[in-house]
Amino acid sequence: MMRHWRRFFAKLGSLLRRGRAERELDREIASHLALLEDEFQRRGMSPADARLAALRAYGGVEQARELHREERSILWLEQSLQDIRFAVRSLLKNPGFASVAVLTLALGIGANVAIFGVVHAVLLRPLPFQQPERLVRVFDDVNGAGAKDIGMSVPELEDLRDRSGVFSRISAIFPVSAALSGGDHAERVEMLGTTVDYFQLLGAKAALGRVYGTADRMPGFTDGVVISDGLWQRQFGGDPRVLGRRIRVDEDGYTIIGVMPPGFRHPGQTLSADVELWAAAGFTADPFLSPPVRARRFLPGAMGRLRPGLTVQQAQQRLDALVAQLGRTYPTEYPAPAKWALRIEEVQSDLTGGIRPMLAVLSAAVGFVLLIVVVNMASLLVARSSARVRELAIRRALGASRARLVRQLLTESVLVSLAGGLAAGAVLVLARGPLLALMPADIPRLNEVHFDAPVLALAFLLSIASGILFGLTPALYASRSDPGRDLKEGGRSGSPSRRQNRLRGVLVTAEVALSVVLLIGAGLLVHSFWDALRVNPGFDPRDLTVARIWIPQPNNPKANRYITAAPVAALSREILRQAKTLPGFEDAAMGGTDSVPFVNNSISGSRITFSWPGESDSGQKQQSAEVAAVSPEFFRVLRTPLLRGRAFTDDDTDKTRRVAIVNESFVKKYLPRRDPGLRMRLDRFLGFRRDPTFEIEIVGVVGDIRDHGMDAPVSPRIYLPLYQGAAAEMAVFLRSASGNVAMTQALAGIVHGIDADLPVYGVRTMQEMTSASMTRRRFVLFLMAVFAALALFLAAIGIYGVMAYTVAQRAQEFGVRMALGAQPRDVVLLALRPGVLLTLGGVGAGLVIASGVARLMTSLLFGVSPSDLPTFLGVPVVLAAVALLACWIPARRATRIPPMTALRS
Amino acid sequence: MQVLQGTLDLIVLRTLASMGPQHAYGVAARLQQVSGDLLNLNQGTLYPALVRLEQQGWIKGKWGTTENGREAKYYSITRAGRKALDEETGRWRQLAGLVEKLLGTEF
Repeated sequence: MMRHWRRFFAKLGSLLRRGRAERELDREIASHLALLEDEFQRRGMSPADARLAALRAYGGVEQARELHREERSILWLEQSLQDIRFAVRSLLKNPGFASVAVLTLALGIGANVAIFGVVHAVLLRPLPFQQPERLVRVFDDVNGAGAKDIGMSVPELEDLRDRSGVFSRISAIFPVSAALSGGDHAERVEMLGTTVDYFQLLGAKAALGRVYGTADRMPGFTDGVVISDGLWQRQFGGDPRVLGRRIRVDEDGYTIIGVMPPGFRHPGQTLSADVELWAAAGFTADPFLSPPVRARRFLPGAMGRLRPGLTVQQAQQRLDALVAQLGRTYPTEYPAPAKWALRIEEVQSDLTGGIRPMLAVLSAAVGFVLLIVVVNMASLLVARSSARVRELAIRRALGASRARLVRQLLTESVLVSLAGGLAAGAVLVLARGPLLALMPADIPRLNEVHFDAPVLALAFLLSIASGILFGLTPALYASRSDPGRDLKEGGRSGSPSRRQNRLRGVLVTAEVALSVVLLIGAGLLVHSFWDALRVNPGFDPRDLTVARIWIPQPNNPKANRYITAAPVAALSREILRQAKTLPGFEDAAMGGTDSVPFVNNSISGSRITFSWPGESDSGQKQQSAEVAAVSPEFFRVLRTPLLRGRAFTDDDTDKTRRVAIVNESFVKKYLPRRDPGLRMRLDRFLGFRRDPTFEIEIVGVVGDIRDHGMDAPVSPRIYLPLYQGAAAEMAVFLRSASGNVAMTQALAGIVHGIDADLPVYGVRTMQEMTSASMTRRRFVLFLMAVFAALALFLAAIGIYGVMAYTVAQRAQEFGVRMALGAQPRDVVLLALRPGVLLTLGGVGAGLVIASGVARLMTSLLFGVSPSDLPTFLGVPVVLAAVALLACWIPARRATRIPPMTALRS
Repeated sequence: MQVLQGTLDLIVLRTLASMGPQHAYGVAARLQQVSGDLLNLNQGTLYPALVRLEQQGWIKGKWGTTENGREAKYYSITRAGRKALDEETGRWRQLAGLVEKLLGTEF
């Protein structure tokens, strides 16, 4: 064994010191021949005869050399090194071609690797927890009302924990805002209410101190809370003595028992930022309803760890059985027509589900870009090979086999491709920060995107694969040379053969077809974006600034100064009164947090179920709508039209009859033929408060506001008067032409002047928020536009190349035609023909492919069908225009050829 | 007569072991002499065997001068080479005996 290794290394060594080994061999052969000659001369031969005899005795010197080399070295490797040296030389001789090739390949490969880097981090890599595939989210659905994720009640959570037999641990997931004091300054923080099992469920440990666990179980909130590394640095200066420190959260005292590591992130949706504070509760004592009631679903949801050996499907089956059993036990809480159900979904897919369609479309797009680059390279190489006909013919004549030539040419293309991949990888690794900053910040797990080994491995594989892909056809084509013919023909400036033109034609047609697909994809997104921009948001965002105010929720209801309607109304009225004194003030309104458009409020429990008085029980709970509380000025300030009935007034207070305003979508869905003045019965209001079911009269109808974004559908919505209920969080809407920064400070000053414990946060202009709501769409659109432009450019180059060759080839013919009296117009038309045919073929094929591929994009489109006519008509026109230009330039050149020159050449 | 692959290595090794350091021509001439021209090989075919043996570390080449003042590369057997020669000789005898026995046996 040893000696095999020894030989292997000796061979490698000789490979590296090839020149020295060759010189040594020559010297030895020379000495051998000299000795033989001496011998023959000693036997009496003449020097000339002796020399011949020596050579004869030695046998073929060249053969001996070759045998020696074969034995000495690793032949295939040596030949590859030869090929590489040769390829480098031949590429350096043609730096224009080499740099264009490397650049386009770097773009194609780089785009793919970048998108894969994101896909890998966001979708493929498991979440950074123990056995992340067993982490699931649990949702309550009321399928009878078409309502998903309506929240969970405490008894339901307890059933899941104790009776389902599905989870080894389960925790409520309750993201809330909180006012934090006791650190450097009072601020609003993102808090996550959980049950004590949360950290054990994730298998997460604190970086400093400890996390809470089963032993900390309390009916209300547990005293010990855990903070994030970010909050620790910001509020406590990274001081390790923070453990045991008392802080006030919404006016209640807690003790910090642990700090999480910097990389730890709650794997789920939050209100507006990463979770900074974790607090455990039993949810069965103040501030929560005690005893808990089954139908009060104030918990936004739960997260669980499946028992070992249980698949998601099996777990779902057991939950279905539990639902059926609970339905029999509590027929009032779970009426059959409501079709209440428990649904589980893997945490990872819940977290990243929203981003999946976008990444899928981008992956497909970059795939197309690379294909176009590959086809373009192939066509460039075919063109180039015509210039090398002579070189290849000579090499064949000297005895190179066809396989050897193919290998040589493939080495060249793979080398170019690797250079492109290397450039792409280097750019991605070096510019990771700026590139990630281009991406919409709301993409989950973006911090985990790294261009590391698995991602760079893809860059390597893609380089090799594309090198072979675009190199093989031209290599096979070029190596099929017939030395006899080519040495004669190729001598004449290497005019391209008919065969070569046909091959290039096919390649260019493919390129055009692929470009059409990309252009259609980009076109559909442009059209969607255009439509989304023109959508009426339902309010006037100009000169409108929003500031949010968090109202602390102490655990003891008696300590909550804003638990009833009167103080909330008083606070709002005072803020509005003082706001009038601000410079540049035009108008102002107040609302609950759910009244702010474009704020992610899908998880803050703002859905409400309702019924019509007098309806039978079986009809109950099949209707749901979003709910928001607003002050009387709200619709005036937002300039949302009142369609029927009246707006709220200052007289709608807790002392008067309860009233509601609904939006147009509500009317369309539930009241197609009914007028305002109808009464309905609302089931619950504002999260976990103890509001009984109450009857309410609909007094008005307003236009739809696109609360979930310009490109998202509007849900039925019920507006309630802010002054008739309590609020946990409020927003001030201020219409004013003056600047944002001054306004923020002035507004915060007003609020703090009224109540110093109320944090003001999230001050944005409504126009910023409108624009931010389009970030993802804009991002996808931007990338697709770049890809499509690249595709168009490459296709144009491809067409131009083929046309230029054809025209050059037919110069003589055109010259004759012109000499015989053909008009320039006739010649241009004649010259255009092949290019136009290629383009038409490509566009036709592209449209067929695109009509299939576009359907995959449906979820990214808005107001546009995947077979959108303007796009499918516009793209061919654009492409045809560009292609025509690319054809026209060489065609015009054809008319400029002086007939005499053409005839003489 | 063709030489069985691998046997040439053994022969060269043996030659170097008994004659001391030799150049390629010397080895070739010696082989021709011993075989009585029965083993008529092109002297160039010796080179692969020499490379193989050298890369295995069994022989070592060193440039020197012949008595006629010509430069030549002298190969000498190494200690590992001697060990290998013993082993290989034993193996060869075993194999040759086996082949002989099989050829002489009536089945």
